[in-house]
Amino acid sequence: MSSDYEYSDDDAEYYEGMDMDEDEDIDAQDDAISEDEMEIDFSRHDRISSGKQKAYEVEYDTMPQEVVESLISKDIDHISSIFGVSNGVASLLLRYMQWNKERMVEKYMDNSIELSVKAGVSVVPPPPASSSGRVSSSRSKSSTSVATKRTTRRSAAESASRSKATPEPPTSPEYTICQICFDDEQTEMLALSCGHKFCVDCWSTFIRSKIREEGEINVGCMASDCSLIAPDSFLYSALGADKETAKRHKELIVRHYVGCNKNLKFCPYPSCINTVSCPAAASKSALSTFVPTVTCGVSDDHIFCFGCPIEGDHRPIICGVAKLWLKKCQDDSETANWIKSNTKECSKCQSTIEKNGGCNHMTCKKCKYEFCWVCMGPWSEHGTSWYNCNRYEESSGVEARDAQARSRASLERYLHYYNRWANHEQSAKLSVDLYSKTEKKMEEMQITSNLTWIEVQFAKKAVDEVFKCRMTLKWTYAMAYYLAKGNAKELFEDNQRDLEKAVEDLSELLETPIEADNIPILRQKMTDKTVYVHKRNEIMLEDTAEGFLEGRWKWNVNVEGFETTSD
Amino acid sequence: MGNVNSRTRDEGFYARPAKAADGSMNLMEWEVGIPGKQHTAWENGIYKLQMIFPEDYPTKPPKCKFTPPLFHPNVYPSGTVCLSILDEEKSWKPAITIKQILLGIQDLLTDPNVNDPAQSDAYTMFKNDKVAYEYAQPALLAKRFVICLFLAEEECANRPGKTNRSDAAPT
Repeated sequence: MSSDYEYSDDDAEYYEGMDMDEDEDIDAQDDAISEDEMEIDFSRHDRISSGKQKAYEVEYDTMPQEVVESLISKDIDHISSIFGVSNGVASLLLRYMQWNKERMVEKYMDNSIELSVKAGVSVVPPPPASSSGRVSSSRSKSSTSVATKRTTRRSAAESASRSKATPEPPTSPEYTICQICFDDEQTEMLALSCGHKFCVDCWSTFIRSKIREEGEINVGCMASDCSLIAPDSFLYSALGADKETAKRHKELIVRHYVGCNKNLKFCPYPSCINTVSCPAAASKSALSTFVPTVTCGVSDDHIFCFGCPIEGDHRPIICGVAKLWLKKCQDDSETANWIKSNTKECSKCQSTIEKNGGCNHMTCKKCKYEFCWVCMGPWSEHGTSWYNCNRYEESSGVEARDAQARSRASLERYLHYYNRWANHEQSAKLSVDLYSKTEKKMEEMQITSNLTWIEVQFAKKAVDEVFKCRMTLKWTYAMAYYLAKGNAKELFEDNQRDLEKAVEDLSELLETPIEADNIPILRQKMTDKTVYVHKRNEIMLEDTAEGFLEGRWKWNVNVEGFETTSD
Repeated sequence: MGNVNSRTRDEGFYARPAKAADGSMNLMEWEVGIPGKQHTAWENGIYKLQMIFPEDYPTKPPKCKFTPPLFHPNVYPSGTVCLSILDEEKSWKPAITIKQILLGIQDLLTDPNVNDPAQSDAYTMFKNDKVAYEYAQPALLAKRFVICLFLAEEECANRPGKTNRSDAAPT
């Protein structure tokens, strides 16, 4: 089949990796077409090792809507030139096949009529003419459009015999009244190739509602049993002067195209219409080696992860682990906190027990073990001292408490990481306040000293840096929770500690009260510290990213894309 | 949409705009009756439906609501019918006529669509116990009710000393 047509290389580039659910698929396609792709991979390594690109950064492009539109029209032109169909038809076929050009070409060559019908380009064809030699009158109306669609090279040859049997378009009775509004003053009637005529007003109302209210890109014929879909040119001519709806439709098509292409992502920020292209992060396996943090270029706020839907920047931790962590936090945090403060474990069977009243003589519901709530020792040793326990130092009690402490260790461990994670998140959230406070200080500094507005910008820079580093720190705690014990983890935690210390120092400087004579010193200190913090953050990100590339990190849980490891 | 009355009257369908208290007609709200199909559990019944037309009809479909609500897998507890041709995001087309809607709902009565349940009671019964489901159909329920009434009256009539029929409440 592929011998029929030659595909140019750049086609493969856009569609590589688009429709692949299994890794197997990826491999197969990689071998076949992705010379460009491999180049990208190699060059990524090269650039990193030669120091041109930082290990924690990823290569990506931002595309305004017009660029994506030109990609779309390139695809449409390509299809329409291969099969000799109109651009409108090519667009419908591609949309039906989720913009997967290769699959579309394959399917179309396999059975052009079936695909055309499914995509709403033409109506159901009549049964093969050989059966009876005549076509019933009800069928004849619907077959007209099929005849007009048979202009493709291949299908024309294939169905030459069949198209002979297709009757000429019947002279259908002229409906002068639209069957929807029955308004006899309407003169302009429009119909798709199925011949169902309706007035322009009904069409435009329907199209507008479909596009604007339902966000639908495919608008079908309004007749009840008709599955034809209107080509874009029809929509726009029916809409007439309503350019706003036409514009919305074009936007929706761009969204659909971007949604179908794994190399592309729409900027998730409200009312932003830019697209980011990041082929390096398109495959799942790539996401276990780096974090594809990208921005759409509008502003620094529009920062997001190409690989997962987590908001903002979750470097240095990879998507899979970040997701694990967020899920754990969502499920466990409150529960874990409550368990920690309100319960104890039975010292024999480790069931978690909440004491909600009564005396200190506890009997475990599960294993019937009797113990003292205060010292956790066995009740049998308590004799007659029923309501108070002064036996805290007895060996049996100490042992029981030790056992309990061990069983609590994992809970404590989790809370340790969670509390630090949440703390940085909270501080990052408070940065808005810090900004306004710092702004006031900057004004104050201008008044008390003779610094210009530009010269006091160092304070704002410091706040920016603190915010950025807190985001990094936050995620390093999630990462540390999942890292398996070992040298790598110790080094990681050293880096983390250095960064944290630097950030806290800088935060403290930001809180220092302003006095006229200490401003020059403060300015010097703060600028130095900002540079240092920035450097530490780079080291943290760089080292972690390199670790991912080298496969240095080992996890204490199963992480997708990594070998199974255990603590 | 005006010719529904004449064409399908014979089959027991009716559809007319509702009358307000002052006698004026409300064209946006119709009263509709759908007869159950012959030889099914729904026969001999006419099921009352309220058809509420939105401002942007026919771009948007009318809302069809059984009053009172029906025990049927595709009827919401509120009485609203769940049918693909009545869903603007599924198969609604502006050219669908009232007649087509009514016939569609009539078909739905006897052939529930298990892939799109709208109430759990009727759905679970339909899935798990077809016999019980059939017995719960309104037409059959009405029939059984009449029989019970009849039996109760018989019993009362046969009971010596009690001839006052008004005592014989069907309980």
